[in-house]
Amino acid sequence: MSIPDEKLMAYADGELDAVERAQVEAAIDADPSLARRVEKHRALRSKVSSAYASVLDEPVPERLLNAVRGAPAAARDDRVVATGRAPVARSRDRMGTRAASWSWPQWLAIAASVAVGVVVGRGVLTSPRPSIGTESGKLVAQAALDDALTNQLASEQSRSAPVQIGVSFRAKGGELCRTFSIRQADTLSGVACREASSWSVRVLARAEGAQTQPGNYQQAGSGMPAAVRAAVEAQIADEPLDAAAEMAAQKNGWK
Amino acid sequence: MGHALEAVQRQLVEILPRLRRFARTLTRNSHDADDLVQLAVERALSRLDQWRPDSRLDSWMFGIIRNAWIDETRAQKRRNRLFTVAEAGENVADAASEAHIQRLSVEAALAQLPEEQRMVVALVLVEGYAYKEAAAVLEVPIGTVTSRLARARETLEALLGGAEGGLP
Repeated sequence: MSIPDEKLMAYADGELDAVERAQVEAAIDADPSLARRVEKHRALRSKVSSAYASVLDEPVPERLLNAVRGAPAAARDDRVVATGRAPVARSRDRMGTRAASWSWPQWLAIAASVAVGVVVGRGVLTSPRPSIGTESGKLVAQAALDDALTNQLASEQSRSAPVQIGVSFRAKGGELCRTFSIRQADTLSGVACREASSWSVRVLARAEGAQTQPGNYQQAGSGMPAAVRAAVEAQIADEPLDAAAEMAAQKNGWK
Repeated sequence: MGHALEAVQRQLVEILPRLRRFARTLTRNSHDADDLVQLAVERALSRLDQWRPDSRLDSWMFGIIRNAWIDETRAQKRRNRLFTVAEAGENVADAASEAHIQRLSVEAALAQLPEEQRMVVALVLVEGYAYKEAAAVLEVPIGTVTSRLARARETLEALLGGAEGGLP
């Protein structure tokens, strides 16, 4: 009697009822090759499950325990603030088309309840020449950050520069945006977009224990906190600017 | 209400290791897996009213993780174009032990499977769910679970088989 492989598989997985089980076992008695096939299914199962067994012994990261407790700062791997307008949570495949309808992954909207001060408290707002200030209720780049966003080219920047520029791109609303990292007490990363006369800081995140990123164009993107990466991904209209396009955009005043 | 929330939180802490393991089978690295779990926990807590206390919390959570992952992978293609995947090599450095090599090869093989097959493998082979339970989490008929699992096993066998317990 021939037994389809799906049934042998279900037998190996303990899925058959008593009647079917007896059927399969009778067939196995009559045909040793069936026993080998069942054994193969069991071996694969044990191989796959033992490959992941060690995950159960790993210590659970504190941030997950915090998430369960509903701790307010539990925003993925970094503390995130979506700044400026109230973030709009909606599905990613229904992106807004106007600048005013920047849409954010839902978790980013959750994270937005974190106070700005928690994230940017260490020097960025309080030093003699803060890099980020407020202008009619929005966060804008100032001083060294404003300078870097306006003048610094990712392809040519010095690795020791205090502000590192990552990816430059045109957003769905048409404006040009750039990702950046500021090295201070922590490394702060974010996305700033050019508005009429200033850079509006739209996302700001601190990577916990982040390494400072060297100024390589690619690495600057890959080293971004997840929040920044997600924001770029959600907002980018097309492809990031390459070195030539970045230079052209700079010459054109980021319009 | 407060008590109910506390009870759920206690249970969640208990199943966190399993949620992490499930997420690990879906993503390619532990960091993304933990992001996924965190997102799922936040979603779950924000919609606790949708959970029926007489049902299994782990199944509900697996379903939330699955949906969150589907949302993530929709955007994955673009992300891969945008950013180099620095994490790809993270497991390679320490591939010393036999067990570790084994694990890497299983992970690599799983990564070859279509998403929907990988989820069945994760629930049935790793998590030990019955076909019927897996079907409920994935919201598909049980026959679909069976056929996806059979196809997944065929692929995995081809990629991993032979080393031990395989047919000649």
